[in-house]
Amino acid sequence: MIEKVLIANRGEIALRVIRTCKALGIKTVAVYSDEDYNSLHVKQATEAYHIGEAAPAKSYLNQEKILEVMLSSGADAVHPGYGFLSENDDFARLCEKNKINFIGPSADSMNLCGDKMKCKAAMLKAEVPTVPGSPGLVKDTDDAEKIANEIGYPVMLKSVYGGGGRGIRIVTNDKELREGYESVTGESIAAVGKSAILVEKFLEKTRHIEYQMARDTHGNAVHIFERECSIQRRNQKLIEQTPSPVVDEEIRARVGEIVCRAAEAVDYTNLGTAEFLRADNGEFYFIEINARLQVEHPITELVSGLDLVKLQIDIANGESIPFKQSDLKMNGYAIECRINAEDTFLDFAPSTGPVPDVTIPAGPSVRCDTYLYSGCTVSPFYDSLMAKLCTWGQTFEESRIRMLSALNDFYIQGVETSIPLYKTILNSDEYKNGDLSTDFLKRYGMIDRLTKDLKIEKEEKSEAALAAAIIHSEYFKSRIKDRPSNNSNWKNKLD
Amino acid sequence: MDYKIQDIEKTFEGKITENLGNNEYVIKINDNEHKLKIINMNSKGIEFILDQQYHKAKYLEQSTSEINLVIDNVPITLKIHSHFDEVVYKKTGGGGTGDAQLSLKSQIPGKVVSIAASNGDSVKKGDVVCTLESMKMQVAIKAHKDGSIKSLKIKEGSTVAKGDVIADIE
Repeated sequence: MIEKVLIANRGEIALRVIRTCKALGIKTVAVYSDEDYNSLHVKQATEAYHIGEAAPAKSYLNQEKILEVMLSSGADAVHPGYGFLSENDDFARLCEKNKINFIGPSADSMNLCGDKMKCKAAMLKAEVPTVPGSPGLVKDTDDAEKIANEIGYPVMLKSVYGGGGRGIRIVTNDKELREGYESVTGESIAAVGKSAILVEKFLEKTRHIEYQMARDTHGNAVHIFERECSIQRRNQKLIEQTPSPVVDEEIRARVGEIVCRAAEAVDYTNLGTAEFLRADNGEFYFIEINARLQVEHPITELVSGLDLVKLQIDIANGESIPFKQSDLKMNGYAIECRINAEDTFLDFAPSTGPVPDVTIPAGPSVRCDTYLYSGCTVSPFYDSLMAKLCTWGQTFEESRIRMLSALNDFYIQGVETSIPLYKTILNSDEYKNGDLSTDFLKRYGMIDRLTKDLKIEKEEKSEAALAAAIIHSEYFKSRIKDRPSNNSNWKNKLD
Repeated sequence: MDYKIQDIEKTFEGKITENLGNNEYVIKINDNEHKLKIINMNSKGIEFILDQQYHKAKYLEQSTSEINLVIDNVPITLKIHSHFDEVVYKKTGGGGTGDAQLSLKSQIPGKVVSIAASNGDSVKKGDVVCTLESMKMQVAIKAHKDGSIKSLKIKEGSTVAKGDVIADIE
């Protein structure tokens, strides 16, 4: 039985894992870099160990150092969170070798999930539908052209060594394909010295819909419903919701059955996520398995009533999943907004620095997982996710209104945030009507609408702002003195 | 005094017209009078009731011509418009900003991963001058105007803070 968990992560996810461990009476071990001395996960864990410099490679990605702390602290398990080492099968294997319970899939299964080609082959064998395309690498331009004509244009040429938008070309005819093939090959050789190309059908106006899945070491598999994560920028999710507006009971069960088959196909254990593209015609195509707990897991918790970290620990302990598929009932609607430290108007460039003051929203069915506190710092060394704001409602409309009100209450001084953009999105008719797609921001000109909304907001506040400015200038001429409140508890409210 | 709020095309005139005592004032904005009661106030911020509505403001930065504040979570920049300035601008023929500015400043903090231009190079507005890395992302810093690069202030591997000068462009 797991008694002491090392959390090989930082930020809000480290706090999230610590919370469940506390509730289960499990001791926690935090690790931290030079940058995180003052971080909440250090303060809330049972023990905390310094593991190195700020740069991730010297701390949160340093497997040897983390192993050393696991052994010296007597931790019997490790939770990797998301990001960092969470999908590194070498790390999972290192834990296995040292008899430390890795809370996640086996190293072998993780390796299989991480290899796009092998994973796709396993899925084809299990009759899990994948995006139509070449069964493996294409041999040459002629081969690519033959496949493109079989599946129909437009197609995507993808370098297996690409990523983040590099090494991808969308082509609509034979001529473009031949040109694209040359340039993708060239880019790939320039970047990594070799090239290997796949051909895939390019699907327009797609939605990103994923399923939470769980499978125990006894082979029992369930899905815990879908999440729609179509609202993205640069292939990164911004807003997620469950249920998806285009998934009904019948689709949920039908695709859910495929999800359980997919988990079995790669002998997956613990919690994971099966990601799908949903084409505009309603077809679902499997893309990949994320072999970890997802950022957006809280919305699944809100509609299922489950604690997914607890379920992870139970499965890691070798227990059977304590419920059957038919026991799970989806209750209500949940939305998550990822509160990022970024400047929407600078092409989502990071915004970092001290945060002197924070107001964290609360209220009925509002959940905010965050590492922020007044006086903390947003570090440039780690990713930009500061908080995950989730709301639940009996209806979609109720969850949406609660989210808008929580976004209004969320105040983060010192850094730019994605909050204003989310208010514009949540207020849009397209969002309200569930007309979502992965190109939502561009398709509906959300950034321009945001500019207009901000102007309206400023107009609404202009008189109050002016009043505050007038009082301020009088104050500096010393015609108005400090006016601390009579209630001494309020005294330092603005300091 | 006159105030102009950034991004809004309106100019407001505002002043205190009466001190009612007990921290209550009458404020006149354009032609309308409002009652203002201060609940809590110091140099960093204020909580007050304007007519019947509660507001909370934090003062971020101020100069003789500008106040930056956050009111009810909305950041607002007020330009304080004294008519004297206008006369000066007219006489010197100035008044424009933007292109007249020499320095290319970084709008984000980060580490310099590559530099695409060197001293003396001529650049066009929008040309990449250097690339910074922050939060695992690479962000290109582009020239804000046409001109030639003078006194490049950065080195590969060095870190820059928000607002630091990357180079002068003349």
